[in-house]
Amino acid sequence: MFLQTLITGLSIGGIYALMAVGYSLVFSVLNFSNFAHGAVIMLGAYVGLALATKLNFGFGLVLAGSVAGAGIIAVLNEKLAYSSLRRRKAPSLYLMISAMGCAVFLENLVYATIGSRFYAFPEFFGRQVVTIFGSSVSLLDVGAFIFALIAILGLHLFINRTRTGTAIRAGVCDMTMCSLMGVDLNRLIAIVFLLAGAFAGVAGVFLGIKYLVYPTMGWVTNKAYIAAVIGGLGSLPGALAGGLILGVVETFVSTYISSVLRDVFSFTLLIAFLVWRPNGLMGIDSEEKV
Amino acid sequence: MNALLVEDLNVHYGTIHAVQGVSFSVNEGEIVSIVGSNGAGKSTIMWTLAGVVPPSGGRVLIKGNPLPSKPHEIVARGLALVPERRRLFSALTVRENLIMGAYRRRDEESVKAEMERCFQLFPILRERLGQRSGTLSGGEQQMLAISRAIMSDPKILLLDEPTLGLAPLIVEAVMNTIIRIRDEGVTVLMVEQNATQALEISDRGYILEAGLFVKTGPGPELAMDPEIRRAYLGG
Repeated sequence: MFLQTLITGLSIGGIYALMAVGYSLVFSVLNFSNFAHGAVIMLGAYVGLALATKLNFGFGLVLAGSVAGAGIIAVLNEKLAYSSLRRRKAPSLYLMISAMGCAVFLENLVYATIGSRFYAFPEFFGRQVVTIFGSSVSLLDVGAFIFALIAILGLHLFINRTRTGTAIRAGVCDMTMCSLMGVDLNRLIAIVFLLAGAFAGVAGVFLGIKYLVYPTMGWVTNKAYIAAVIGGLGSLPGALAGGLILGVVETFVSTYISSVLRDVFSFTLLIAFLVWRPNGLMGIDSEEKV
Repeated sequence: MNALLVEDLNVHYGTIHAVQGVSFSVNEGEIVSIVGSNGAGKSTIMWTLAGVVPPSGGRVLIKGNPLPSKPHEIVARGLALVPERRRLFSALTVRENLIMGAYRRRDEESVKAEMERCFQLFPILRERLGQRSGTLSGGEQQMLAISRAIMSDPKILLLDEPTLGLAPLIVEAVMNTIIRIRDEGVTVLMVEQNATQALEISDRGYILEAGLFVKTGPGPELAMDPEIRRAYLGG
């Protein structure tokens, strides 16, 4: 029971981490909370659902299609809703308000065109289980956890080992100076949104398979914000750690205390971190020598 | 030939007319200094030339061609800025800062050669390669800021207050390095608030007051001019 709960928690935590990574990446570069990230996750899930149900694609192609679709949607979202504000050097509050507007617009667009019905993905994994230390756990849970780890490790390597990744980290420090190094900021920001969208696509598919696909499913990104704060805004390893901690805590609370109290614990954790450790577990150390 | 030609440059911040129709030129291989008190508009000119602050009027030519509007396009045309207070990427290491300086360059070998050139100018940077730049001393940070700009292989180097807050010995080292960079073929435009040493090493100087040039001439002559010394150079 304990191990099953732990694996389920890690699986949910892995999905939270995938969402938190995208959210955290955009926050660290543009310094605003992209509340439209949840809507991109939701649209990514719908793209995956369409590929799975209309075109009968297998899991791999559904995932790839959702990654591409959500990535493109995220880039379009930036170009249409944020780039003109950026060019005019608008305060981040304006970007945040624009993001909220986008979230509401995209949700209602889905309501108006696809409807409010709940849809289920085909059962890619059936009810397959794997046995770990004598406990039976769902293949989907193990797969989601491992995939999240690999994806975030890949992103971590990209950010730390490539020229574009170095430019993203430089942009986090000082966007203006980054442009004075010869970096095309519009292109760099498009790459950041593409990456965030790609992760949103993966999260959308796993969320859709684990639960259902519906227009307000993106609101689960509230948990990604909590995970990002726990881990430290702007830190990718932090987003992973925050997501996993939150997923495990929630699952244990649901299993051993009460599922009604699950969100109470999550938001209490958020408040506790904001009060006692606002930089999170691995927040970016911006300390400089005077 | 003019490496840089600025004609009737105007810059506004809202209703504030920060730069009021200044015109100047920098010839290839020259060091030119713009000197003036705090708030005279010196840094605004530099940020405008780098493409960060848009001009409200006037014309800027780099080697006879109009200045592009975006900073990354300006860097591609061979202009690099070392800003006031360095503005290094503090969370990145010294090596990563240097690599960012060479962002537009694709040839790994020439980037390595350029890094060696920086180590010739500032040997201490080789020892600090893996250190986070935010933890360097002020002098080392300035050395890194200049090196980062050099990594782009600029034809024109803009230096905004390169000696601000540095100890006298470091100031002298920075000034000697600027001469060396010029001798290697890079045109230098520098703005300085405390300007005696800047004018002494400059081929020409311009005195800026409230957004307007009030005097120009050979750098060493301006440095010795009693009126200018009294007004701008602290006696």
